[in-house]
Amino acid sequence: MLKTAMTLTPSPARASAARIGIGGPVGSGKTALIERLIPVLAGRGVDLAIVTNDLVTKEDAERLRRSGLIDPARVSAVEAGACPHTVIREDPTLNIAAGDALEAAFPGLDLLIFESGGDNLASTFSLDLVDWWIFVIDVAGGDDIPRKRGPGVLRCDLLVVNKTDLAPHVGIDLPAMLSEATAVRGGKAMIATNARSGDGIDAVADAICRAVLFAP
Amino acid sequence: MRVIDRIVGSRLDPEIAHRLHHLDHRHAVDILAIDSADMARRRLRATTRGGEEIAIALPREETLFDGAVLILDADRAVVVRVGAERWLRLAPRDKIAALELGYHAGNLHWRVRFDGDDLLVALEGPPEDYLARLGDLVSGGRVTHGLDARNEAA
Ligand SMILES: Nc1nc2c(ncn2[C@@H]2O[C@H](COP(=O)(O)OP(=O)(O)OP(=O)(O)O)[C@@H](O)[C@H]2O)c(=O)[nH]1
Ligand SMILES: [Mg+2]
Repeated sequence: MLKTAMTLTPSPARASAARIGIGGPVGSGKTALIERLIPVLAGRGVDLAIVTNDLVTKEDAERLRRSGLIDPARVSAVEAGACPHTVIREDPTLNIAAGDALEAAFPGLDLLIFESGGDNLASTFSLDLVDWWIFVIDVAGGDDIPRKRGPGVLRCDLLVVNKTDLAPHVGIDLPAMLSEATAVRGGKAMIATNARSGDGIDAVADAICRAVLFAP
Repeated sequence: MRVIDRIVGSRLDPEIAHRLHHLDHRHAVDILAIDSADMARRRLRATTRGGEEIAIALPREETLFDGAVLILDADRAVVVRVGAERWLRLAPRDKIAALELGYHAGNLHWRVRFDGDDLLVALEGPPEDYLARLGDLVSGGRVTHGLDARNEAA
């Protein structure tokens, strides 16, 4: 059990694990972010499990299982078929079932992370599936991404702008891209990360713990 | 911070209504206003009108509703009130504009209601974001628009 939640909750919690989503375009670094978050969250006493979504394979689940970062039994895969947003928005039944199975297998779970299959800027999560969600875009995708005002970028609870290390290599003015992202989101939360080096990962973990695990 | 992991009941339940009535006389009923877009969340932190920050962590089979009573103590209560949902009213000029509008609204997965000849779109962001998607349907005047506020519970 999460330490902070235990001290904050006098009666044994009836609620099930918090569920968060991580979505974003293909290759923006969703799995890389999760690989970085696992040890950071574990270090804070968060008991977690993961559901990945891929189009027609279980590639991301296999990668996480092989990573040595987490008990392979705590990673579950959903094959999304051709439309990755359908299984996180219109009909999240498969994902809900995968989450329920993990909760049944690991009582005391604090957090379930759902990685969406790589999609376009329009993908959003159903709040029936998750309580809170992150959208990951990357610097190499172009500094015009925020300006395109995709629903994923606009509506997510936290926007992560990843691969900051690549900015000089792809001719991106990072501060300008970040301020534009903040502007289109009306000031809602945004964090810049480098999943290679780990920069910004602690801040993402802080945001998760604050929003759904009620850390101070 | 108080963690709410169950809904006590509805303010419309006669027994609860009775107790709320008495607490209200003592100004001991606090309101937790929640944005309609956040109502489907099982977990969130929010601050009551009285200034208390509370954490909601409901089981997955439960959801918030307007009038949900979250705290009902001997000396105080907290009741959920849903913020008025905002709707963008879109009025197509003719049948052709209506067909095109319907196509776009479906393609963009907007949440809609029908009201006579108008289409109402639930707003989860600024109306300009929605209007921009309709391009020359709106700029060319084939669809006109206005804002509607109405309560989800109404
Ligand atoms: N330079 C750099 N590379 C990164 C960073 N984050 C991820 N990558 C690389 O980007 C590629 C894609 O990363 P993934 O984590 O697989 O991306 P994803 O979003 O999970 O991809 P899909 O699930 O296929 O949509 C990999 O080669 C990563 O090593 C970063 O911050 N900087
Ligand atoms: Mg991935």
